[in-house]
Amino acid sequence: MKKKALSLLLCIVMTASTVLIGCSNEKTSASAGGNGKDDEFITVDVFDTLANYQGIQSGWFGKIVKDKFNMELNIIAPNVAGGGDTLFQTRSAAGNLGDLIISKTESGRFENMVKAGLLMDMTDLLKDKAVLKDYKDAIENMNTNLKPVGIYGIPSEISNRSPNVSTEGVDPLVAPYVRWDAYKAAGYPAMESLEDWIPVMKQMQENTPKSDSGKKTYAISLFKDWDDSMMVGAKNYASLYGYNEIGFVLAKADGSDNQEITSSDGYYVGALEFLFHANQEGLIDPESTTQNYDILSDKYRDGQILTSLWSFQGPSYYNTVEHKNALKGFMPAYIKGISPYSFGCYTKGNGKTIIAIGSQTKYAKRLAEFIDWIYSPEGMEIVGQANGAAGMEGLTWEIKDGKAVFTEFGEKALPNNNVPVPEEWGGGSWKDGVPALNFKTLSIVDIDPRINEPYLTTMWSSELAKRTTPLDLDWQEKNGGAKTTIEFLESKNALSVAAGTSYLQPEESSDITTLRGQCKSVIVDDSWKMIFAKDETEFKSILKHMQDTVKGLGYEKVLEVDMKNANDQADSRIKAVEEYNNKAK
Amino acid sequence: MKESVSGKASKRTLQSRRLFYCILPFIILSFLFSYFPLHGWIYAFYDYKPPLKLSQCDFVGWKWFETLFANKTQVAQIFQVMKNTLAMSLLGMLTSVFPIGFAIFLNEIKCKWFKSLVQTLTALPNFISWVLVYSVAFSLFTDGGLVNTLLQNMGLITTPIKFLDSDAHIYSWMTLWNVWKGLGWGAILYLAAIAGIDSELYEAARVDGANRFCLMKEITLPSLMPTFFVLLMMSVANFLNNGMDQYFVFQNSFNKEHIQVLDLYVYNVGMTGSSLSLATAISMLKSIISLILLTIVNILSKKTRGESII
Repeated sequence: MKKKALSLLLCIVMTASTVLIGCSNEKTSASAGGNGKDDEFITVDVFDTLANYQGIQSGWFGKIVKDKFNMELNIIAPNVAGGGDTLFQTRSAAGNLGDLIISKTESGRFENMVKAGLLMDMTDLLKDKAVLKDYKDAIENMNTNLKPVGIYGIPSEISNRSPNVSTEGVDPLVAPYVRWDAYKAAGYPAMESLEDWIPVMKQMQENTPKSDSGKKTYAISLFKDWDDSMMVGAKNYASLYGYNEIGFVLAKADGSDNQEITSSDGYYVGALEFLFHANQEGLIDPESTTQNYDILSDKYRDGQILTSLWSFQGPSYYNTVEHKNALKGFMPAYIKGISPYSFGCYTKGNGKTIIAIGSQTKYAKRLAEFIDWIYSPEGMEIVGQANGAAGMEGLTWEIKDGKAVFTEFGEKALPNNNVPVPEEWGGGSWKDGVPALNFKTLSIVDIDPRINEPYLTTMWSSELAKRTTPLDLDWQEKNGGAKTTIEFLESKNALSVAAGTSYLQPEESSDITTLRGQCKSVIVDDSWKMIFAKDETEFKSILKHMQDTVKGLGYEKVLEVDMKNANDQADSRIKAVEEYNNKAK
Repeated sequence: MKESVSGKASKRTLQSRRLFYCILPFIILSFLFSYFPLHGWIYAFYDYKPPLKLSQCDFVGWKWFETLFANKTQVAQIFQVMKNTLAMSLLGMLTSVFPIGFAIFLNEIKCKWFKSLVQTLTALPNFISWVLVYSVAFSLFTDGGLVNTLLQNMGLITTPIKFLDSDAHIYSWMTLWNVWKGLGWGAILYLAAIAGIDSELYEAARVDGANRFCLMKEITLPSLMPTFFVLLMMSVANFLNNGMDQYFVFQNSFNKEHIQVLDLYVYNVGMTGSSLSLATAISMLKSIISLILLTIVNILSKKTRGESII
């Protein structure tokens, strides 16, 4: 009897706990404000979906944060940790993403984070902060329709300029950068179409066979870290023609065309075909399949890769003053018919990424101060350094004759070079101290009231005037005197600016998300296989496999959602421009 | 029970209670690690969206189980995954004879220090994690790795061979890595069993004129068979559980189709594809199939050997 009773009891306990644990407790900790002592040195966990560095922020930026706020930033970067959304999911399941949160918001993520009690209501914290006063419209717009009501997130890239002005200042999202020295050695060949680029790349690879450190050069090198709905390395070639992704759709900047990516005559498959041909010619770095962003960045620094589509890769890593003086560096070449995609300014902020305070933090007050500071002109100059701002006044730049100019150190270190930083500024290497948050608080092309010029240093009059290195002069001579990539593209009427809007992709049903996840992996895997296919037949058969598989999985249902989103986005762009124009009147 | 029980019975209760307390820690442990995690199965019946709590999500019943068989492509995908799982498990079973051979031959080595050296060196890989194994594989077999560079320098090949990012012979490759990692470790059990064989058997056989190979074939091998069968049966029960770490570290866009075993598929769907509910449903099905397999093996074992293994 007793035994039975005991075993029964055990059974009951087991079942009960199983059931009870299922209903996890609802209670969210009361937004405690800040019980951490104000003067205590703290380590802040920053959950940052944009960061490409994981660990404690070191170097000069680490020192600024320590001096100003007596804290250090421990950056948690899903991009580095890998596994897509895994880190977000596990951390949010635990109910604590971090103290400071920089996150994507689309597909209902922002609303869900609020609903799940992961974010702190900042209404009281920001009450008398400048950031709220200066950017009230943008912040309110971001935080409408939330339950419970409050201010939970501040959008990025807030701007005062027109939505039709490129937010990228001098370099659009993508442009066909080539190593100008190699392009010159090939005799500046004209390119009528994308395919014409291949023989040019081949010549470049032949006339520049070795990198600075003597390694074999390749025209193209890819990496897989950022692949999501599609392969980023291929999508970029579609962006050269004014398209950008929204789900499985490539939407043209002006809203005139929406393409589904698996269509055989679309730009995405076209880009895969281009890369496939390039690989057949031996132009693609075979390590593309295994390397990550960091390894690729080092290759760019070493001059091992001869073309680049992102200004923040090739040009940013290789165009140092020394290289430019030696007539070496990345410059955009013109391919007939291109019209690179560029993001317009976000009058109401770019709500696709936000900064927020975690609900479980003990340091809310101090974090609010930190946020307030990064949205101030000085904060923008420093935090925005990773995206082209100047950095610290006195170290990298100073005001001379009423104009902002680089110091000698700034010349050497900016934008992202391995130059030792003086001990009193934090020591270490400049490159290692660059703000790893990778978050743009304000639009980089907006005017810095402290210097009356844009934050973006490459737009400073003192910097534009300096574009007189042999590399610049040679490039300008060939391109009718344009000083920047955007000027150059505008002069050819070849720039597609997509008006900046506060449009966010709405939440979708989980059926669609599941299907999307399955289709994504088929598309990304098959894209890689197609590029490295043995021959045309294999390329075609993998393409067919991709099309058939996603179709069989139910791709059409996902596409319907994406097409609707693409159209809504196009509409919101028209509206944003109208709104701005009305306000300007 | 009545009050008027004899002293003997109460003594027995006392003793059984004491025994119960002895095993209580183990009951608690097995509850914590084997039964308690099962409450996670509840996620398979909800439309779970990660930042939200389960109580904020909708209850959807059997929807995710139906999704698994929603269309032909889906079924084909699961079929491919099952094929990979079974193929690799089967290859694993086939190669489970290698440790026996290895143990028998190792046992014949008379030089003691050499024997223990070989044994240590072959058992060592078992303790290296798959992540490290992959990094070794990576530096050996990438395009710029040791093997390719060597072959190119010797003029045997002109373009690097894609060892890692190719779909060819992926089952064999994975099995080879497995054998390399597990051979020495697997042999330890057999070496212990060999040590337990009655030496009189060998002496008698020698008197009868048996040579070394005869001894191995007629005495050592048959004596190892019971151990082998127990291990084999246990591996049948683990048919679907071929682990995911090995395949996870080796997977890439190029070999995914054939390397994706069930555990890895669950991970890819759930963690990478952000469908935790669906992944839970798949792993639930897996547990059920494993249970059925184990029961079948157990019945077979009862029928053929007269004793059950559980």
